[in-house]
Amino acid sequence: MDRRDFLKTAGGTLLAGTSCAYAFRFLTSTYANKAGTDIPASGKRWGMLVDLTQCREDCTACMEACRRENNVSFHNDTRWDNHWIRKIKLSSEHDAGGEEKSVIMLCNHCDRPPCAQVCPVQATYKRDDGIVIVDHHRCIGCRYCMIACPYNARQFNFRDDEHWPNKERPKRSHGVAESCTLCAHRLDKGELPACVEACAKTGAGALSVGDLNDPHSTISRVTSTMAVKRIREDLGTEPKVYYIGL
Amino acid sequence: MPERISGKRAGNKQTLLIVVLMLVILFPLVYAVVGSAIPRGSGSPGEFLEKATAPGDTCIRAVEYMRLHHWELLRQTREEVVRYGVRDETGLDKCKNCHTSRERFCDKCHLATSLTPDCWGCHYYP
Repeated sequence: MDRRDFLKTAGGTLLAGTSCAYAFRFLTSTYANKAGTDIPASGKRWGMLVDLTQCREDCTACMEACRRENNVSFHNDTRWDNHWIRKIKLSSEHDAGGEEKSVIMLCNHCDRPPCAQVCPVQATYKRDDGIVIVDHHRCIGCRYCMIACPYNARQFNFRDDEHWPNKERPKRSHGVAESCTLCAHRLDKGELPACVEACAKTGAGALSVGDLNDPHSTISRVTSTMAVKRIREDLGTEPKVYYIGL
Repeated sequence: MPERISGKRAGNKQTLLIVVLMLVILFPLVYAVVGSAIPRGSGSPGEFLEKATAPGDTCIRAVEYMRLHHWELLRQTREEVVRYGVRDETGLDKCKNCHTSRERFCDKCHLATSLTPDCWGCHYYP
């Protein structure tokens, strides 16, 4: 037997053996796809409208409701507390000496989210309906998203929180990044986010969510007719939280 | 003095030798790939542990399927809920309606097979 024959026989056997093994694997595969690969898009594009003329500076109803609904880590220690909604003081760069405004800040659910672009494991992503969400099962806690986010919306769970007010919802374990999900679990069920409900309950009604793709929704009408602003529009992230009276 | 064998016969013998050698080399690969596709009857946790029965009428899949593949179903459901917002009746939270004891339905087998899924670090089991 010469070298040519040897190589032909050896190569042929290897190829046949491996293909048989893998063919067997595919033929007897038991993996069942539950919902199929095509999940229809909802066609929605959620956005939030914040009416700062109605928002009271001393009220924290939305922050507390959010914390209760989503089990946001809270130790009463500024080093480790997380806030999906924050209240900050904003002043204009162009209007020196102008009045400071109390503004609520939350994840802007950008159409071009920088956090999703930098995530090395695709844990942060934008859903079909425009909500930017962290998949905590995938998050490795690298905190790139916190650096990328120009709104400081991303928070990190520096330690576990035993406090668990809403048992229906998961809490986050130590070592993952998180931010507002626009209460996606409630929107999927057709309910309003916890903060919107709480704000309406106080009588202020400063917060509302709606479908930006629907021309008849309140948010679409308001954003197309009234003077609304988004925070740092110049960055090109296309945020979807609109402010009246900013 | 040994008899000289003809070139043709020597070639056949060598071919056979090479084929056998290659199959031996391939064996671990074939064993692993084929073996992983065969559902194992003996040795699975259900065989040597007392089987726990849930009070509900029927599970969403056959019991045998669930014993081996519940994690695949859960992983798939997780992906659908988290990524696509499809919230139907087959999530981790729904399982808890019938499988009310974490010790009996999760930890028992997972301990026996030294598996440590971390579902309950964030999700609540009553």
